[in-house]
Amino acid sequence: MDEKTPPLSELQQHLQLLSAKFSERLKHELPELRGMAQALRNTQDPADRKQLLTRVREQLHKLSGSAGTFGFGTLGKQARELELQAVEWLEHLVKQEQGHSAFLDRLEEMTQQNFVMELNAASGQTVTAVSQAALNQRHIYILEHEVELGENLRQTLNNFGYIASHFASVEALDEAIREHMPDALIIESQGLEYAAKLQAQRNDALSLLVVAPQDDFSTQLQAVRAGAMGFFCKPLNFSQLENRLERCFAQQQGDPYRVLIVDDDLELATRYSLVLRGANMQVEIINDPAMIFAHMRDFNPEVVLLDVNMPTCKGPELAQIIRFNDDWLRIPIIYLSAETDIVRQMSALLKAGDDFVTKPISDNALIATVFARAQRARLLSNALSRDSLTGLLKHADIKDQLAVELERTQRKSSIASVVMLDIDHFKQVNDNHGHSAGDNVIRSLANLLRQRLRRVDCLGRYGGEEFLAVLPDCDAEQALRVLDEIRQRFSELCFLSKDGQFSVTLSAGIAMTRSADTAGELLERADRALYAAKHNGRNQVQLGG
Amino acid sequence: MSELRRILHVEDDPSIQAVAKVALEAVGGFTVLTCASGQDALDQIQGFAPDFILLDVMMPDMDGPQTLKNLRAIVDLSQIAVAFMTAKVQPDEIEYYRTLGALDVIIKPFDPMQLAAQVRRIWSQAYG
Repeated sequence: MDEKTPPLSELQQHLQLLSAKFSERLKHELPELRGMAQALRNTQDPADRKQLLTRVREQLHKLSGSAGTFGFGTLGKQARELELQAVEWLEHLVKQEQGHSAFLDRLEEMTQQNFVMELNAASGQTVTAVSQAALNQRHIYILEHEVELGENLRQTLNNFGYIASHFASVEALDEAIREHMPDALIIESQGLEYAAKLQAQRNDALSLLVVAPQDDFSTQLQAVRAGAMGFFCKPLNFSQLENRLERCFAQQQGDPYRVLIVDDDLELATRYSLVLRGANMQVEIINDPAMIFAHMRDFNPEVVLLDVNMPTCKGPELAQIIRFNDDWLRIPIIYLSAETDIVRQMSALLKAGDDFVTKPISDNALIATVFARAQRARLLSNALSRDSLTGLLKHADIKDQLAVELERTQRKSSIASVVMLDIDHFKQVNDNHGHSAGDNVIRSLANLLRQRLRRVDCLGRYGGEEFLAVLPDCDAEQALRVLDEIRQRFSELCFLSKDGQFSVTLSAGIAMTRSADTAGELLERADRALYAAKHNGRNQVQLGG
Repeated sequence: MSELRRILHVEDDPSIQAVAKVALEAVGGFTVLTCASGQDALDQIQGFAPDFILLDVMMPDMDGPQTLKNLRAIVDLSQIAVAFMTAKVQPDEIEYYRTLGALDVIIKPFDPMQLAAQVRRIWSQAYG
């Protein structure tokens, strides 16, 4: 382990380990709970039923109290709701023997979901930005017989927020891999044979980057055949390598697609939701069309599935209501219907909506239709709103996000912090080292911010070398702690140009939301704090008043 | 009242035991003894001499309130702070736990980074 790691980081790793253990535990406990739900469904004996239900209730109580602590807030919330229903059923057990199949449906559904660690907003608790970042850390193993180079690379990757380990021999690497499989492997070309063997034993390919003394064809071919996703020559450009690593992970682990189902038939909606969740999508159901606004705003779906025939409001009518709002124009709407009359399908599509799915639909067809629409919508949305150099939101879009977050804090009386961040003396970097070195610095800072901030945080490139971040549920003190750590790590990064190595610093200003803030006032306070940081000598983070 | 140093944590869930120990020792700098049941707590309290007892409410065999009652029969709790931990949040329930002699209730799930501060807050509100 790294001796220079500050105590906080050790703590993060410890907490991360405990969360990983809890996640392992769920793999046994959820199926067990499912077994009990099935037994409850089948038993006719009142004494058995009472005993089983009591155990189910205890288990749900435990989950509702513990899951949130380990970053499984959604599970905790569901367990809590089900626990209350279980208690109610227990109290009426004697009077009422039937009619709890809805409870058992939901219980079974919960046990089959694929829960992932998340920010714990559901329980109403604030997981600090620091502890949450720890949960997303990735392990990287490096094989490099040049010890100094290997150690430098390890230190650089640690500064980016990865947990990197360096090995000087294939034997040492192999021993570590047997104990724990890393998320990515960076290997010198001498180790390619070993890497190829390792890949052959796996079902899913390991992210592999290759470092070689020269870029000859046969080594590159060997790297491709071992499943490499990147190939780098010495002298090594660390920030390029880190950038490729970041891209590997982004491809591998996009957020699950968010799908909203509007259907008055709860049973059917639950069934669709189960199928889509099985394909690793995030699903919310509403049965009352009037609830649409709140869910569109809070859940921010990427695809909406609409039942055509609902009692209070027809599907095409609801689709037109959604299209009234410019913000939701990009969201694909798919109708669900028993309608096979092509003329009526056409007329529904002409009003609003993008596709028609006819009930009954096979699981695979449902997944394929929703997946294709969601994928395309996200690609389009990213292409329109993301900066091509950094992959972060563009100026106008991060400002929109700020407005959305601000509205959320005011509605929920919660808080958020806004950070303005600027690279110090960036013009000199461009002048002294050339524009491609400057681009490299900007891209590295973007990657560092992405690594160190949480997934719920919004991040944008505000200007040339200026960045804006919005951190929900994070007070100024927490923001200061996180940003100062980022500042420190950024200053330790080493950049390469044709004239040698150089390093760069940054300044940042933080402002926390106040009750009656407008986005403009908030930005102005963050900007003033940034100016104070610059004025005070740069390479520092200042809190705004 | 002396300084808050030693915390007795009574909890049957091993995951919560572990995370609370880290949260209180590494973040808060306290000394923690973890007991897996009410009986365990009864056996160990005299040897440990805690300043603060943190009790899970729902445990098999002997629940939190019963454990508190039994502890009171064997040691003088007048100089020891007691708080319950539970997933339930009805206000009248918190009142009920107060009548049993607890200073406050810590709601689960808790944030490991904030637990020590919560405990310290309860302590200083009572003795600060």
